[in-house]
Amino acid sequence: MLKELKLTVNGQPYELSIHPRALLVEVLRENLGLTGTKRGCNEGACGACTVIMNGKSVKSCSVLALSANGAEITTVEGLAKGAELHPLQKAFLDYGGYQCGFCTAGMLMSCKALLNMFPNPTKDQIRDGIDGNICRCTGYNSIIRAVEAVSRGDYKETK
Amino acid sequence: MSTKYSVIGKNVHRVDGTEKVTGTAKYTFDIVLPNMLYGKILRSPYANAKILSIDTSKAEKMDGVYAVVTAKDTIHKKQGIWRRFPELCDEEILCSERVRYIGDPVAAVAAIDEYVAEEALNLIDVEYEPLPAVFNQLDAIKEDAPQVHEGVELNINVTRHIEWGDVDEAFKHCDVIREDHFVCSSQAHMCMETHCAAASYSYDGKLTVWTSTQASYYTQVLLAGMLGMREGDIRVIKPPVGGGFGGKFELDSAQFCAALLSKKICRPVRIVLTREEEFTATKRRTPIVYTSRIGAKKDGTILAKEIRGITDGGAYTGMGATALYLTGFFSSFPYKYPNYRYDGYRAYTNTEPTSAMRGFGAPQAVFVGESQIDMLAADLGIDPIEIRRKNGMTPGYEVPGQAFIQSCGLHQCLDKIDEYIKQRGKLPPNHGIGVAAYGFMSGGIFNWFDTPYAFSSAIVRVSIDGKVDLFTGACDIGQGSDTTLSMICAEELGVKLSDISIHAADTGICPADLGAWGSRETLMNGNACKMAAADAKRQLIEFAAAKMGVNIVHDLDIKDCWIYLVDRPERKISYYDICKEAIRGKDGETIIGRGHYTPHRKGMISPAYSFGVQAVEVEVDPETGKMKLIDVTTAHESGTVINPVGITGQLEGAIMMAGGYALCEDQPMDQGKILNPSLADYKVIHSLDMPETNIIEVDTYEPEGPFGAKEAGEGLTNPTAGAIANAVRNAVGVTITDLPITPEKILRAIKAKKENEKKGK
Amino acid sequence: MIKDFEYFGPKTLKEAINLLDKYRDDYKIIAGGQSLLILMRQGLIAPENLIDIYGIKELDYIKSDGKKGLKIGSLTTHRTIEYSELMQGSYKVLSDMEHLLSTPQTRNRGTIGGNISHGDPAGDPAPVLMALGATLKLASIEGERTLTMEEFSIDYFETAMQHGEILVEIQLPAPPPRTGAAYTKFNIIASDMATLSVGSCVTLAADDTCTGIRIALGAAAPKPMRAKAAEAILKGKKITDALLKKAGQAASEEAEPVSDISASEEYRRELVKVLVARVTKEAMSRAKAG
Repeated sequence: MLKELKLTVNGQPYELSIHPRALLVEVLRENLGLTGTKRGCNEGACGACTVIMNGKSVKSCSVLALSANGAEITTVEGLAKGAELHPLQKAFLDYGGYQCGFCTAGMLMSCKALLNMFPNPTKDQIRDGIDGNICRCTGYNSIIRAVEAVSRGDYKETK
Repeated sequence: MSTKYSVIGKNVHRVDGTEKVTGTAKYTFDIVLPNMLYGKILRSPYANAKILSIDTSKAEKMDGVYAVVTAKDTIHKKQGIWRRFPELCDEEILCSERVRYIGDPVAAVAAIDEYVAEEALNLIDVEYEPLPAVFNQLDAIKEDAPQVHEGVELNINVTRHIEWGDVDEAFKHCDVIREDHFVCSSQAHMCMETHCAAASYSYDGKLTVWTSTQASYYTQVLLAGMLGMREGDIRVIKPPVGGGFGGKFELDSAQFCAALLSKKICRPVRIVLTREEEFTATKRRTPIVYTSRIGAKKDGTILAKEIRGITDGGAYTGMGATALYLTGFFSSFPYKYPNYRYDGYRAYTNTEPTSAMRGFGAPQAVFVGESQIDMLAADLGIDPIEIRRKNGMTPGYEVPGQAFIQSCGLHQCLDKIDEYIKQRGKLPPNHGIGVAAYGFMSGGIFNWFDTPYAFSSAIVRVSIDGKVDLFTGACDIGQGSDTTLSMICAEELGVKLSDISIHAADTGICPADLGAWGSRETLMNGNACKMAAADAKRQLIEFAAAKMGVNIVHDLDIKDCWIYLVDRPERKISYYDICKEAIRGKDGETIIGRGHYTPHRKGMISPAYSFGVQAVEVEVDPETGKMKLIDVTTAHESGTVINPVGITGQLEGAIMMAGGYALCEDQPMDQGKILNPSLADYKVIHSLDMPETNIIEVDTYEPEGPFGAKEAGEGLTNPTAGAIANAVRNAVGVTITDLPITPEKILRAIKAKKENEKKGK
Repeated sequence: MIKDFEYFGPKTLKEAINLLDKYRDDYKIIAGGQSLLILMRQGLIAPENLIDIYGIKELDYIKSDGKKGLKIGSLTTHRTIEYSELMQGSYKVLSDMEHLLSTPQTRNRGTIGGNISHGDPAGDPAPVLMALGATLKLASIEGERTLTMEEFSIDYFETAMQHGEILVEIQLPAPPPRTGAAYTKFNIIASDMATLSVGSCVTLAADDTCTGIRIALGAAAPKPMRAKAAEAILKGKKITDALLKKAGQAASEEAEPVSDISASEEYRRELVKVLVARVTKEAMSRAKAG
């Protein structure tokens, strides 16, 4: 009944044996121990489980793990480079783009995916880019300020 | 913002920031313990029923199932937060003979994984005898209504009465009187992290519980009561919490069932509630129906207000009695009513219990009060800001027999909003700006939990290298109390924020604290931390004085890690050096500072109140009723601002939550069954729906608070619904008095208005 | 909780069709999974065999049909359509619609074919495709057939797809000159499903007489529907505001909306009335402009 799954997460290839029913978020959290990505609902509505899959943001609770066979996944654990935080993470710290932090991993991945698509987004594009991530604490506007700061170039990424 | 402080008032990174933005923070939701089992709870499908029998034998035999519990595994106690009033402690959690709402727990299972646990629930046979049920407060208080709890007449289990002056006499002298009815709906906390607990009962009889809680002390004490254990044998640890908003300081089914299961087999058990359970089987905001009567003189001076509220209490009391009281109290805010009367009634119904949610009865009260005062202003032909100025509270005001208002910046807030509205100028068609004012408490003075401890306590330990460990029971649930308290401690002790390590809300090592609710942490725990830091500072200064050989007339203080003479600051010595000396000098004894705070003689309610005025601009589409939030500008004061970024965050978050309450969050029911228990159907504001927000800080100083600080974050949920209602009236001339204010209601009101106008009124 | 199943991940259409034939009695097709997985997680659907067609690259395309029409592969994601440069002229409405659909993550993963196969009357693409006169190509081991969007939509979450069939392509006919199309959806929260939606496509003659009109309603009936009575009022006439109002009224009477927790039937009819007029007017301006 178990099937083989091969995927790359944060640059690391993995080979796993899983039930077909397993969702990508379950494999990330439970098989790989990457608990940064959270689950907030059972209907693909909250966005807390957002990761980047083959360059696009997706809700990992709405992707069967077997569908991700051969895919490249980036989770929040893959944002920082060694000990150096990603500009988005630094901006979130500066602008208070988080409070309870439960939505933060998914939110950061949506922001990253947004900036990948639109390096200089308008405010409306930012609002649209994070519209699939519910935050119950911040009211979103501090997150928007953080993304604006990154796109403005306030945080230089070290190579 | 004051520049005289070194730490407070500065923009800082939260002390838990890096773990949250890197995903390394481990929430209860993430906890995996060795040999851990996974629990699931079986819940009643009936709103009201007798339990005739429960047969768990098939579930127990299932492969992968290790324990099943029902009420017969408990010591048959009922619990509740209002421990001084046993009749209000009415919740068994695991029901023995009766279930009282759809979702009431009946059994729990611990199994090798959640799939097996879920299947095992299907093997538990429960025989019910359904009984007639009642689903709203107005039906519940009828003579022939089914009884939710035996022996509670008319299903009313709590009443509250607040009165001063002579309301009936005062109404006789009013030039204008109006009476209005309002219906305030429910709301779900909708924390991103659902209720969860991981419990581990050891072979030597000690229980450790990791749980998503707002009050680890309450969890500890209530669990002890329900398990028949000594409090001290239970350790409750609060990991980072994914939101609370008032829904997580009572003992919940995840905590109790996980602990009970673990105790049965001495293995760790984790229970995480599903989003559906979160919506249907936790607690929710109290729905209230009001009749409010207000009277004033021609010049706008309000003479009297009389308000009656009937709350839908749901199946159990929880904190509902407090919400009942506070809604009556905050119905008198923020104005000076010479004559006032409130009568509140709490009715049991067979629905999900209603209890505490951010604002605690005040958002409802302020929706009513601020809608009505605007309508009164219109009746009198007086400007809405003017009528508020005329009657608004001022510093030093005493709410007769109830509360003493020390600092109060309401009038400055009114001025700022008046300025803002005037600057905004003429609005486009179908736009309207509505205003609402509020005042909110900084923690309550009541001790119906019946704790013998100080309401807040803190311990500060200074180490040889100047590092400071701050131990406090305060619970950071995302509102940032860990950071705020660390800042207060650092400021008082005179060190850097990075010198502080906070250890919070672990009942095994921290002193008790009543938890994060009622907006109490900054003021109450802040005072405790400040006192503890001052105590440690005093011990250090003793040694510094000796070392520096200063004259007795000189005072010493610590700032920016220097111990210095206050009137000759160039004479100073390094704080880090003195730490070593002080410890050596005390025979190697650790430097420990202790602090605590309990409000004494602070009136009936709270030691301090924060005030604000909010202006909301909306655009209404008169053909569909759709409303867009354009802008929310808030002038508010919360005493000295400890963490500026934190306050902005609290305000913007409050607008998201309070805006949702006003516009789209609702829990419609059919025969007690919640019809939208999913995030697809329970509507909350996302980023595209969020308006632009502006904050105007008004400077005040609260003598009762640490460095002059008081609450910010809960009061800010109060004004939005009222401001939106007023904005809609100003935009399209209709008044909606029942929440949420949906497009359908607006359109219906617009059409009715047109009909009336056609008929010539 | 999801019940386990046999998983198949065909990489070609031929493979997929063979699997659908083999497991004809008990299978479900999964594409992006944005609709299906929710139902499976709630235990509402529990197939023995799950056929994951997401990897069939040959069904992911947008191309001209050589005659100013478009062909869209059923596995084209919403995102691809949203930003495709081929969404010009009256096809811009598809890009507009996709931009309003759900959230970025759903648009990244979900496919247009998966969406309309789900048969949700509140789904965004259906009324737009219906207004544009789209046809749908289905394939099975027995061969291929083509249906109109109207023929494809049967009932609440029910389409004309038979066991063994797979939707492979959406075909958009070449629009006549002076054709404009527009879409609107009504909801309270932007990412929400439509409480009511309207897609309208108008073709004007040189003298602005309406020579072609299709108005489709979403979430106004058990399936996406054409507002034919409304169309009849406008066709062959010069469209005025007064006529639009009459058309809106006619549409509100022929619609079959329900009352649910989002809105009452009465309110939905009111929305039909207002939005049909508005969207058709917008489509008309686009026709004039372009």
